[in-house]
Amino acid sequence: MSGIYNDPIGHWVVVVVAIAILLFVVLTATAYTVWFERVALGHIQRRPGPNRVGPWGLMQLAADGVKLAFKESFVPAKTERTLFVVAPCIAVAAAFLAWAVIPIGLWYNVQYWIADINVGVLLVFALSSLNVYAIVIGGWASNNKYSLLGGLRSAAQLISYEMALGLALVPTFMIVGSLRLRDIVEYTVTWGPYHGPIPLILLTPIGFVIYLIAAVAETNRAPFDLPEAEQELIGGFLTEYSGLKFVMYYLAEYVNMITVSALAALLFFGGWYLWFVPPVLAFLLKIVLFLFLYIWLRGTFPRLRYDMLMRLGWKVLLPLAIVNVIVTGTILVASQG
Amino acid sequence: MAIVIFFIAAAMAVAGGIGVISFRQPIRSVLSLVVVMIALSVLFLLLSAQFIFVAQVIVYAGAVMVLFLFVIALLGPAKEIAKSRLRFQASLSALFVLALFGLLWAMLQGVTYRQPDKTVDMSIFGTVQSIGLGLFTKFLYPFELTSLLLLVAAIGAIYLSRKEGDDR
Repeated sequence: MSGIYNDPIGHWVVVVVAIAILLFVVLTATAYTVWFERVALGHIQRRPGPNRVGPWGLMQLAADGVKLAFKESFVPAKTERTLFVVAPCIAVAAAFLAWAVIPIGLWYNVQYWIADINVGVLLVFALSSLNVYAIVIGGWASNNKYSLLGGLRSAAQLISYEMALGLALVPTFMIVGSLRLRDIVEYTVTWGPYHGPIPLILLTPIGFVIYLIAAVAETNRAPFDLPEAEQELIGGFLTEYSGLKFVMYYLAEYVNMITVSALAALLFFGGWYLWFVPPVLAFLLKIVLFLFLYIWLRGTFPRLRYDMLMRLGWKVLLPLAIVNVIVTGTILVASQG
Repeated sequence: MAIVIFFIAAAMAVAGGIGVISFRQPIRSVLSLVVVMIALSVLFLLLSAQFIFVAQVIVYAGAVMVLFLFVIALLGPAKEIAKSRLRFQASLSALFVLALFGLLWAMLQGVTYRQPDKTVDMSIFGTVQSIGLGLFTKFLYPFELTSLLLLVAAIGAIYLSRKEGDDR
């Protein structure tokens, strides 16, 4: 394997194949996340959910995909045509690029990643901050006041919660001393007779809670789905989108959901380590649990009002995250000194 | 490979820069500026400055430009109408550009290029750890003073945006 990596052309072949496999896996996972959400939401609301196409409705997404792909690619009059088309592309590109730095534990001591860079998690943040453009540009280019307001709301929301999200992870970085996701998962402790990796939630429980809330807001999911609050804004920035361009936004949203779930599993729950469960299954199980949490939240909580959302972000989560950083730092220094 | 990426990124940066001044729609100018920022971040990455690369994307492309976009998006899709009374600026600017290039050319006359410093340990250069260490040891005072400056600016902005007689 290392021989292939050292050969310049072999290296490129390996990387391209790896990207292709990853793209396929993430796309498939996205499709079944949508299915999972619809079935789970259905059961929460005491109805069966999709169950007609294929066994247990498993082919529903294929049917929906074909339907949406064959729809007329409609662009309303007086829109900014170029930007209207570019915006959903940015969303999809940013969503998929984040998977370049996410390591996947396949088996014991066998991991898979495309780029193992020093800045790791920060790259995911950088890409999620670019995601704002997709929404603002889409909303603006639609030439529709509801789209514009939805886009702007979303920009304000994402900027506000990005800070809490970033600061929530600082204690983790301080403890581990690295931003590399692999180092964070492999972080080992020696507590009495136990020596091995631990889920970092034990060390930064507050950081995890802040991350969880802020991540829901970052992915525009209920109860923080204000950019597309339908009672106030029709469909928000999505109002004028249909067909494949709508699918791209939809896809980006679900890929982002899987990304933040995977990050939560890696950062706080020890990634692919889980007792005797094989690594790849453990990692998958943790992601699915987080996805279920998302769906559960959507089925349970009413949407927040806009001022409540802003108050929560700026006056609760951000100060809490800063205090968490200071407390963690103090404890770290005290325990070393 | 690096040289190919360099030229692509450099071309993107120049094209974005031209876009900033030549588009008639403010929002397109802002987006061109975003292209410049991202192209510059790629150049930082080529220089092994991983942290600067990510900081450039997060801070400039992700935060500063989004605020620009936020304000300009509210203007609506109106195009700026070209004003004809400033026509004389075109010839004047050509003159200034010529002068600038002359100066640049004169400046680059005595330049000698040198090889990159081979003694630098590339395994830690530009990493988060080395930058953090630098900021909190060697550059502690400038770093803290800068943060004070930013705090003053933030407080000033909050004070100025307050309405008269608003006690909240």
